[in-house]
Amino acid sequence: MREGSEPLLEIHDLVVRYGVATALDGVDISVRRAEMVALVGPNGAGKTTLLDTVSGLVAAAAGRIQLRGRLAQVPEGRRLFPEMTVEDNLRLGAWRVRDRRVDPVYELFPHLAELRRRKAGSLSCGEQQMVAVGRALMGQPDLLAVDELSLGLAPQVVDMLAAHLQDLNRRSGMAILLVEQNARLALDICSRAYVIEAGRIALTGPSEQLRRSPEVQAAYLGGAYEE
Amino acid sequence: MSLFLQYLAAGIATGSTFALVATGFVVIYRVTGVINFAQGVFAVLGGFLAYSLLHAGVAHGLAEGLAVAVTAAIGLAFGLVALGRRGTPPLASLIVTLGLAIFSYAVVITIWGDNPISYEGLSGLLAVGGVSMQRQYVLIVAAAVATFLALALFFGRTYLGMALTACSSDQRAARLMGIDVWRMGLLAFAVGGALGGLAGVLLTPLQPVEFDSDVGIAVNGFAAAIFGGLVRPATAFAGGLVLGVAEAMVAGYFRSSYETAIALAVMLGLMLWQASRRGPTEE
Amino acid sequence: MAPSARRRRVVVAAALAVSLALPPLLAPDWQSLYVFVGLYAIVTCGLSLLMGFAGQVSLGQAAFYAIGAYAAAIPAVHGVPSVLGLFTGPVVAAAIAAAIGVPLLRLRGHYLAFGTLAFQLIVLTFIAEAGDLTGGDIGLRGIPPLGIGGVEAVTPLAYAYVTWIAVAAVFLVTGNLVRSRPGRALRALATSESAAAAAGVPVAAYKVRVFALSAAYAGLAGAIYAFFLSYIAPGSFPILLSIQFLVMAAVGGLGAVWGSLVGAAVVTLLVQLLQEIGSLPGMPTQIPAVLSYAVYALVLIVVMLLLPSGIVPALTARAARRRRDDVAPTEATAGDDARASRLSSVL
Ligand SMILES: Nc1ncnc2c1ncn2[C@@H]1O[C@H](COP(=O)(O)OP(=O)(O)O)[C@@H](O)[C@H]1O
Ligand SMILES: [Mg+2]
Repeated sequence: MREGSEPLLEIHDLVVRYGVATALDGVDISVRRAEMVALVGPNGAGKTTLLDTVSGLVAAAAGRIQLRGRLAQVPEGRRLFPEMTVEDNLRLGAWRVRDRRVDPVYELFPHLAELRRRKAGSLSCGEQQMVAVGRALMGQPDLLAVDELSLGLAPQVVDMLAAHLQDLNRRSGMAILLVEQNARLALDICSRAYVIEAGRIALTGPSEQLRRSPEVQAAYLGGAYEE
Repeated sequence: MSLFLQYLAAGIATGSTFALVATGFVVIYRVTGVINFAQGVFAVLGGFLAYSLLHAGVAHGLAEGLAVAVTAAIGLAFGLVALGRRGTPPLASLIVTLGLAIFSYAVVITIWGDNPISYEGLSGLLAVGGVSMQRQYVLIVAAAVATFLALALFFGRTYLGMALTACSSDQRAARLMGIDVWRMGLLAFAVGGALGGLAGVLLTPLQPVEFDSDVGIAVNGFAAAIFGGLVRPATAFAGGLVLGVAEAMVAGYFRSSYETAIALAVMLGLMLWQASRRGPTEE
Repeated sequence: MAPSARRRRVVVAAALAVSLALPPLLAPDWQSLYVFVGLYAIVTCGLSLLMGFAGQVSLGQAAFYAIGAYAAAIPAVHGVPSVLGLFTGPVVAAAIAAAIGVPLLRLRGHYLAFGTLAFQLIVLTFIAEAGDLTGGDIGLRGIPPLGIGGVEAVTPLAYAYVTWIAVAAVFLVTGNLVRSRPGRALRALATSESAAAAAGVPVAAYKVRVFALSAAYAGLAGAIYAFFLSYIAPGSFPILLSIQFLVMAAVGGLGAVWGSLVGAAVVTLLVQLLQEIGSLPGMPTQIPAVLSYAVYALVLIVVMLLLPSGIVPALTARAARRRRDDVAPTEATAGDDARASRLSSVL
């Protein structure tokens, strides 16, 4: 909203290595407050590595990361604690903050209130993704990073979750960094996007502009069957 | 028949101490991925500490409680060394725990010498339905069961316990929540130390301990823990009981020199049977 | 590439020459120590192969050491020429390993660690109880020395050279195996069993063969041990010995053939040194035990925390890093080009 203010997340010239292999090679990214930004690219491009580095799970070899607020990540593959109930999963999301009340999440996803006593491992994929998003929200983030929102989910479920994310962004001004292989979806709901390939930012710009770019059309929008 | 019941009672009692040691293995392994081969040391140290406290005039109950508290602290210290710098691989940590076990021999010999010690536990017999059994047996089983239930509540119901469970279930996800997996590993070592120490203070009145008794205790505890794949506390607990009863029966009806070998052979047979049932994917 | 191979050859030649020249220069006590370092290196080499290449753990390797010792000693005590023990020891150990390996190696990881540990305790119980055959708990006495024709090995010096030959043979076999095609398949096995299986490696059969080979090594070392000491008992083969083999393998470095020699030498010499210091005149009676436990433990802990992959891999990695630094710039350029071409092909 406040366009002129300092970005919430600023990544400058980031390099990350796994042993001798370079996963990220001079990446620059920024996300402003209340912005929805997409990060698209093929498998193995380094998207998850980027989020993990910002979350502090992976150490950077070089570069600078500045985060002016709290970050929560919805990990790839959801990664709930399957033996625990939905409610306990949500409560653990609040480890960093004092407030462990789960009601706000149930207001957002009323369906989860019905499942609160169920073991997370017994839920459907769509329900699990809801819990994963809810768990991340329990950390009261200023920036929500979602890794592969649509992975393995039915289209209607993806649309529902995407609508919820847009709603969150609009109502509470929470910034969202959306990692997606489904570029069409990502460009539809985000205002800006980065295209990452082999550890480098290949293209960046407003979604409108990228959607019209011939390279992006050929590589990512050429047909759903290519995904 | 009554002889059988007496063997059964003795087996369940020693099996309960195996179960406590086994649960310690499981708690530490689940959170850290380390098989703590110093697990038997906690029991030995618990026994020696309680022995000294009792001789210093500390009352029963309090002495054992203090000994368990100290073994918990020792567990924490062992964890600090074994987990090393963040990112030390589990095999290196495992060998470090062996080193800690051997180091404890030096400490025990320096402080207490190399003779076995023991002390009086609960004395007297308790008659239950025609079978008389030592009160100490009843105490052991009661303490083990109470501890197990308390642990289940801790891991399942408290926020801290849930965080520990989260670390054992999915370290990556736990770290994303901001849970410090390394610190949780230290906590797990402390819990493991307390469990081993409790087994030691309960077992010492039945079987004298000396500085290197930890090997036998750890082998039995490990056998029970592996029964539950090192990750299922309830199965490990049951494994401890099975092992204790099997050993008591072999010793009672057959020869006591065979007790460990036959009990281990039974465990091994069960494991191989499980592995063969898992089918051709194991080939 | 070539200079490093040449450097390697020089190191190996120097090691051969020094180890051949050394025994006559040593006092008899140190000659015995030389024998033990060699025997432990043989066992550790097998264990290192099993763990580093086949990815399987054994906490019961001393069981095969014991089986080899008894399989060599029992016929010799009954008048069979003792040199045959050098065959019966490893062969019986390998045969038993192959037989129990078929079911046992279906167990994985920690289960296998437990299975091998249990196996050793069962073997020890059997030896202790089968008194007629094995001498029981008291042990087997009067084992004749190793001999062929009229020549008998009685002095530590003779056993030092017997051990030298055994170590050389074991290292030669292991080195060839590691470099062979099956050796490469084995390495795949250690990294990922399912990937190896998918690539057509007969995983189960390979695991059993490596297990049997490691048992044969332990059996050979056990046989020499029995003839050297002329007395063996179940107490000579405690669980702690198996653990010590594991420690030697880890200290030297898993999967490194020379690591087994380094690990065996470091640990054996350390234990010996500590015993010597502890038994100096004027030391209280408990000092030898306390000192050797404490220092042994501390060295173990420090080595594993500082060099978690073992001594030899740490050294070779450092050498490799130095070499790589020399050529780093060209490599980086090549990498950039590869990335650039990949990028253009995607866009
Ligand atoms: N833990 C790891 N160890 C080694 N290499 C890794 C690891 N995680 C990812 N990589 C490699 O880093 C690159 C980027 O992976 P990742 O960030 O998962 O890509 P993406 O999320 O875009 O699919 C890939 O080549 C992958 O193989
Ligand atoms: Mg990814």
